[in-house]
Amino acid sequence: MKRRHLFLNSIGGLLVSSALATGLLAPAEVSAQDLSVFTIASPAGFPDLDPATSFSNDGAVLANAYETLTRYIPALDGGEATVEPVLATEWSTSEDGLQWTFKLREGVTFSDGEALTAAAVKASIDRTIAIGGGAAFIWWPLDSIDTPDDTTVVMNLNTPQPMDVIAAAGFAAWIISPKAIDKDNAYFNAGNTAGTGPYNIERYDPGQRVILGRNENYWGGFNEGQFDKVVFEVVEDAVLLQSMIETGKADLTYNLPYENLDSLNAREEIEIVTNSSFQTLFGMYNVQKPPLDNAKVRQALSMAFPYDDVINAGTNGLGQRAMGVIPRGIWGHDAEAPVPSLDLEAASSMLKAAGVANLELTMTYGVGDTLQSLAGELWKANLATMGVTLNLQPMAWEAQWELGKSDPAAAQDIFVMYWWPTFITPYDYLFNLFHSEESPNFNLGYYANPAFDDKINAANELSGTDRGASVAGFIEGQRMVIDDAAAVYMLDLPNVHAVRSDIKGYVDNPAYGHVPFVYQMSR
Amino acid sequence: MSFAEYLLRRLVLSGFVVFGVAFLIFLVSQVVPSDPASLYAGPRPTADQIEAARATLRLNDPIIVRFATFVSDMATGDFGISYRTRRAISQDLQVFLPATLELAFLSTLMALLIGVPLGVLAAARQGRAADRVLSFSSVAAVAMPTFFLAMILQAVFAQWLNVLPLSGRLSQQFALFDSFEQVTGFYTIDALLAGNIAGFFDAARHLILPALTLAAYPAGVAMRLTRSAMIDILSRRHITAARALGLSERKVLFGHALPNAMAPALTIVGLSFAFALTGAVLVEIIFAWPGLGRYIFEAVLSKDFPVIAATAFVVSLCYVLMNLAIDLIQALIDPRITVS
Repeated sequence: MKRRHLFLNSIGGLLVSSALATGLLAPAEVSAQDLSVFTIASPAGFPDLDPATSFSNDGAVLANAYETLTRYIPALDGGEATVEPVLATEWSTSEDGLQWTFKLREGVTFSDGEALTAAAVKASIDRTIAIGGGAAFIWWPLDSIDTPDDTTVVMNLNTPQPMDVIAAAGFAAWIISPKAIDKDNAYFNAGNTAGTGPYNIERYDPGQRVILGRNENYWGGFNEGQFDKVVFEVVEDAVLLQSMIETGKADLTYNLPYENLDSLNAREEIEIVTNSSFQTLFGMYNVQKPPLDNAKVRQALSMAFPYDDVINAGTNGLGQRAMGVIPRGIWGHDAEAPVPSLDLEAASSMLKAAGVANLELTMTYGVGDTLQSLAGELWKANLATMGVTLNLQPMAWEAQWELGKSDPAAAQDIFVMYWWPTFITPYDYLFNLFHSEESPNFNLGYYANPAFDDKINAANELSGTDRGASVAGFIEGQRMVIDDAAAVYMLDLPNVHAVRSDIKGYVDNPAYGHVPFVYQMSR
Repeated sequence: MSFAEYLLRRLVLSGFVVFGVAFLIFLVSQVVPSDPASLYAGPRPTADQIEAARATLRLNDPIIVRFATFVSDMATGDFGISYRTRRAISQDLQVFLPATLELAFLSTLMALLIGVPLGVLAAARQGRAADRVLSFSSVAAVAMPTFFLAMILQAVFAQWLNVLPLSGRLSQQFALFDSFEQVTGFYTIDALLAGNIAGFFDAARHLILPALTLAAYPAGVAMRLTRSAMIDILSRRHITAARALGLSERKVLFGHALPNAMAPALTIVGLSFAFALTGAVLVEIIFAWPGLGRYIFEAVLSKDFPVIAATAFVVSLCYVLMNLAIDLIQALIDPRITVS
């Protein structure tokens, strides 16, 4: 009997709770507060909020809480890119380029009340180098830092480098409070911030949301109309992202399907902001493996690549023809680069002249990457008309990379990947992708050309002192890998953001991933 | 066998299962063709960074030493650092596991609440219109793909009727202005502990659609199993006797027939609870639910092996515990089980 009662009671309990659930349909009331909130629907979470090691999507959060000494402002319309002051107000370099002196902005305090001093800058950079994770390698030219007085930072280098640009990097260049120097990674990833930026992390729910509030100590102060709170909502589903921007639950988002952009743009309350990104897609030829060791064969293959079709079908026409690996907006971009065009007849006869027949090649690319897959399929169709079989091999990045780093003789024939710079220099692209390497890391076409190495190393040496000559050197260097067809340069990706029309002041800066600088915006 | 003996036997068996799982996880980790050091070193590491990571992860130690370390770490709950989130995995689990458990508990409750009474009803009305409608509904609930049901529920309740939230665990307004301390990680419980009634309702409202989506399949199965078990029981002589004694139909159905017919439904619902822990990836993505399914899904994609190992271990533990709980509940409801 007891058991039966228990059972009946539990059924009754369940019915009561279901009645409760029905009552839940009324939306909850929250005490109304007159605060302005900027909401970003972010398609990815934030893996590492430690300013020393962050090397991913987290830059979007960090850039609103921390600042760098300088900021890179690209010239996307073809003008001259500039480096603007942030925590440093002016800087100069010695004649030999081995010493850089930064003057710090006065009256800057961290969100915890500590003052910004030269010692704080030195300690931040030293911490980043000591931990050595993420993009810490950007500081490789640095020998030591001197702090002759509270507002002067002197960087002593072992080789001349553009420290104004390095100090503007979107990773590993954030300046943190002296009080946070001895804190570990877990401290920052628990949602603690200690920067000079306009906002602080107030609440962090991993995988869900980050809430930033104003840093009342901010040196720039706040004007009317600027946002009180910044909220990053982590939403991986593209349908949900779109629904949030359509309903006004988000003010900014990205990663929407290209084919939906036109209909979104037609809506009055949404603006689609498109510009070039610093991300480029290419396929590195395995130059050690016959017959790809013959430049003529590689050139022929590149002439069979359907450049325009991939841009049109893959990015709805928003991508741009890649002029080598250095995209528009980066100093050293070569608008006149002699890149090949699609010409199947010429390609076919070139291949015949090289004595190649029944060629079978394997291209590895990222599994699930629709753009890379499309590029492969369209290229494969073109190559088939020339009697070349292209086997498409989608792989998880780690596996693709492992294979690429193994013995070149057994590795893939074409390695397809994206590249974007850690800090804004053509050297980042050219060195990582084409400079000779003892054991391959990112030069996964195994290209080795001492003349090219010398050319870009020399250009890099000049980058801190004579940028004009440096640009000329990089352009010459890049033309070598274009003439040699070390890779097929597929396309430069667009940066596309959907923004609510009532948001003022939004500008995308491709030097900083998908970072919204919320301080510059208002509603 | 007494209940205590039965309990002890089940506990010992469960211990073996958990150890076996730990061994398998380690074994698999040794044959996966990827380099943990380059994964650990970050998205675009230099060769030096990879070498440093190899030393940090002690990958050069002999395999037996690494297995011993692995077992002792697992046993003490020290699962290491996630390659992808850069946080202690135990810390990540404290966030993601309660989110998923909260959802799984509610969906299991819903599955029982909907499936079992409707199964009883269908059996009581066997062959009549109500039975046919219910049978059709249960087939539909089982056959409907999860993502499709999720999208329909979102469209109807969140977008057209606008009575339930589209996604997330807590509305932004609450997180911003009226938050409560997170103690257990179960938002509904934390809100109640903080005395924040509005917060409780907000968290509960966010649970409804994803829980309902997850409940559809087990509810459909539970209903069919309950129905057939009930039909069998209702034809037995003790039911005829109960009716002859003049007991009300409600008492006959729920008091005498149902306890004997619950076992299969309980088993399937219990298993679907365990499935919801990691198998709810689609539901978690569609509803932007920061749960274990999404966590492990992303870990698998990025070969974040410590996370895969830790979640496999924790989930198998949950599985074993849930199975144990179901067996014990069944033994309580039906004493014949301990005897056999």
